[in-house]
Amino acid sequence: MSDEQLIGEITAGNDAAFKTLMEKYQLPVFRTTMGFLHSKEDAEDVTQEIFIRIYQSLNTFQGESEFSTWLYSITVNMSLNFLRRNRRKSMLQSLEPFFALRSEEKNPLEELESAERDKRIRKAIDSLPEKQRMAFILSRYEELPQKQIAAIMNRTEGAVEQLLQRAKENLQKKLNPTIGK
Amino acid sequence: MQAEDPIDELIKREKATEPNPFLASRVMAEIERRSEKKTREIALWQTVALAGSIAAMAFLGISIGNSYNERTTSGMSLNINDGEIENLGYYNITEYEQNDYH
Repeated sequence: MSDEQLIGEITAGNDAAFKTLMEKYQLPVFRTTMGFLHSKEDAEDVTQEIFIRIYQSLNTFQGESEFSTWLYSITVNMSLNFLRRNRRKSMLQSLEPFFALRSEEKNPLEELESAERDKRIRKAIDSLPEKQRMAFILSRYEELPQKQIAAIMNRTEGAVEQLLQRAKENLQKKLNPTIGK
Repeated sequence: MQAEDPIDELIKREKATEPNPFLASRVMAEIERRSEKKTREIALWQTVALAGSIAAMAFLGISIGNSYNERTTSGMSLNINDGEIENLGYYNITEYEQNDYH
């Protein structure tokens, strides 16, 4: 069933169709929120809120753009709003991935170094200017084509290409003195 | 780029993180819960509005009733006083003054 058909069913009151739509898109939405939040629990909470928002505002979707484009723009905005509201909390949770992603193959020292490197990379990604970060996450976490990123961000493809280039340069500047040497 | 590989590696690991398999069910349950809550709130507000309307109607009825009684009383007293509206003392005042001066 296409997105349009599913949306038609949902607006007619068929909740099972909404569950189908959610199952189709929950992984891309979750991956995108992971790109912004780097925490499984937070990403799940935000994903839940995104789908509730979609359910409540589906009747306002005009169909002028692709449903996925509309969904991604809501995902990006809600992830950024969550980050603004929970900046302090997310700083406290920055050590969480160290415990969550432990590997049996590494010794404690290697794990500590790996966790420290991950922390620096996350910090570098999070410190990118907002538009660069949006373009970077949609491109790298979702592997979306520049055309779709441009539609989501309401920019031209050229502008997105420039944002991605700047994001790459900024990350290089921030990380090269410490990582990869 | 020297820093590309660690970034790619981190992104790969984060992308491999799976959400809770019951996330869709959790969302549907939450939508249902919020919908029920909203229905309950609407029902509560309807009850409050109905009770408020009844109280307002009762108050309005009592007020109208009270004001009707007061007007009737004033009207009656006015009618009674209408009989004494002409003060006959005015006609005697000259006579009274004359008596006082003499």
